[in-house]
Amino acid sequence: MRPIRVGVIGAGAAAEGIHLPALARTAGVETVAIADPSADRLEYVADKFKVPARYRSHQDVIPHIDAAIVGIPHQYHAPVTIDLLRAGVHVLVEKPMALSTAECDAMIRASESSGARLAVGLLRRFAPTLRYTKQVLESGMLGPIRSFDVREGMIFRWPVKSAAMFSPQCGGVLADIGTHVIDLLLWWFGDVAGLDYRDDAAGGVEADAVLKVEMAGGITGRVELSRTRDLRNSCIIRGERGTIEVGTKTDSIVTLTPVHGDASLSGRAVLPGQQPPGNLGDLFAWQMADFVRAIQTHSAPAVTGTEARRSVAVLESCYRRRQRLVFPFETLLDAAASEKAS
Amino acid sequence: MTPLSNAKVLVTGATGFIGGRLAERLIVEHGARVRALVRNFGRAARLARFPIELVQGDLCSPESIERAVEGCDYVFHCAYGSDGQDEARRVVNAQGTRHVLDAALKHRVRRVVHTSTVTVYGNTPDGPLDESAPRRKTGFAYGDSKIEAEETALGYVGRGLSVAVVQPTVVYGPFGTTFTIKPLQLLKSGRVILVNGGDGLANLVYVDDVVSGMILAALVEGAHGEAFILSGSEPTTWRAFYAAHESMLGRSATVSMTPEEALKHFHGSDGARAGMVSQLMKALRHPGVRKRIAETREGQLAIRAFHRLPAGLRARISGPGVSLPGATTTATDIAPAIHPLHPSKIAFMTAKTHARIDKARRVLGFAPQFDFTRGIDLTAAWAEWANLL
Repeated sequence: MRPIRVGVIGAGAAAEGIHLPALARTAGVETVAIADPSADRLEYVADKFKVPARYRSHQDVIPHIDAAIVGIPHQYHAPVTIDLLRAGVHVLVEKPMALSTAECDAMIRASESSGARLAVGLLRRFAPTLRYTKQVLESGMLGPIRSFDVREGMIFRWPVKSAAMFSPQCGGVLADIGTHVIDLLLWWFGDVAGLDYRDDAAGGVEADAVLKVEMAGGITGRVELSRTRDLRNSCIIRGERGTIEVGTKTDSIVTLTPVHGDASLSGRAVLPGQQPPGNLGDLFAWQMADFVRAIQTHSAPAVTGTEARRSVAVLESCYRRRQRLVFPFETLLDAAASEKAS
Repeated sequence: MTPLSNAKVLVTGATGFIGGRLAERLIVEHGARVRALVRNFGRAARLARFPIELVQGDLCSPESIERAVEGCDYVFHCAYGSDGQDEARRVVNAQGTRHVLDAALKHRVRRVVHTSTVTVYGNTPDGPLDESAPRRKTGFAYGDSKIEAEETALGYVGRGLSVAVVQPTVVYGPFGTTFTIKPLQLLKSGRVILVNGGDGLANLVYVDDVVSGMILAALVEGAHGEAFILSGSEPTTWRAFYAAHESMLGRSATVSMTPEEALKHFHGSDGARAGMVSQLMKALRHPGVRKRIAETREGQLAIRAFHRLPAGLRARISGPGVSLPGATTTATDIAPAIHPLHPSKIAFMTAKTHARIDKARRVLGFAPQFDFTRGIDLTAAWAEWANLL
């Protein structure tokens, strides 16, 4: 079979650290082109991964490729992906799929009308431990589920190459990390029935956010997200017969504790015939392999546009109902801000 | 409305502790149009919450500094050399300051506030300290290069640039590294030496008071060409400072030593001219470092090898599996190690120097709003939120 000619759209930290290394490990593809408006980044990344063709615009890449990996600031996901899909190019777009459901719908329509595949990079769905958690929940082992508590935060150290990621149109920690968490909640528990969302953005993008949700099935929970704090990075799910705690990062430990029990079982989950993922790179490689499979077999990828749209809908709803998150340690700023508000 | 409303203000070091808080307050309280000089965008998450202009630049690159300064009414220079070898840090502090001031002179900035430190006075004697004291070198890069930077800054006064210098003392508060996060980490990971039982005076100042002093230094006419010590209303003791942090953590982890004992401990411990192996072992105890190593290919091999060990042995090295609370001996049963105290810190913690803020009060109208109790309460509230306790 002729290899799939892949173009990488965006030569930022994601392309360099994740997409190009994952492509290099994937059978059946050939990375033929890369596009980025920044000439410096374009040359640097293309040289590093020996990508032959370099373009400043995604439009110029289209004639040379069958498929594209889109890793650019969030606000450009929709327009760029739509251009590619309309031209018949299969797309794996990073999460969040877009920043509004209207954009998601346009992307889905573009894919349907041209027949090009649309996959979304919600790669946590490939993590065995997180899949195992879904299976435990569905099996009824924990009895009816009552509540969950997610805390995910790291002092931000992502090696961003420009200020683009911090532009107000891009969204903050909710759009970035929150999308992953929301996707897990939707995948595990079903749809969201109600929410209360607070963050600390004050004319820019949020670094800390707290989301309280009620799922359609009546399960309630709390999500705390941060770019300024190192948090426990796990989700604790409480059922009538026991508790499960699972690391929300990719290569995580899952711990099961029966109700009233004083012992826990903890470890990694594995899939048949597969080693546990060593790092983020392994998961990206699995995601890439799934994308290639979808193209080669003319079937749906593991995470479709329709599926990813669900988390964008929650994201959109959060930003629409946003309230100010008040910190316990702020005095002067709080006073000044409330003075302004009044 | 304040005189800074709509003024264009450059803050260098805005991704740091003091500069970050200054940038926030300039925007929220004063409505200033703030431009932040950023070397590493990865550190800008806190700043990006506000409408702020982030411009890439480096103190060592005069061109980038000039672009950042152009069009600004005020410049707050808070950046300093924080990584690399002594010489690299010295270059950033001394030459970087020159680049900022050259650009400010060229672009007719109304005032530059240069952030110095009380460390420029060297090992201070007991008793009151004010701005008339001589600047004294101690042989340590940070303080010595800050003397050079301060002299450079004040050297522009006669050349038509308006410059004011602030000399904060021991700055603590939310997001503080040296005097907030570090003491908590040290108390959590071992025991901290209190020289003479912590009798020495700690001239503490809450970060918001420093920021208020800096803003005054930018606006008050008479601050031109002057340096101002910025400290809290009254000093406290190092004993009280560490006791407050012990109480946040709910554990006692201090040990009293005379200065001689502390020095002997330093030279006898791995702190003095530490060998690579001991430093590596120390680094490996850090959970963040462990995690990063575990994510490497080699780390994965080690983990897989570990999982092939007999269960009994594996449990002894402690890994995931069935665990019964209280069934095993934990590291906390062994007295935690005493952190060595660097000789420069021994003198610093012994002295009963009282940094006076009379000049800042008189000239700037500086009036600290946060006494130790209030400042520590807010710091504790932050530390809890920041998951540091």
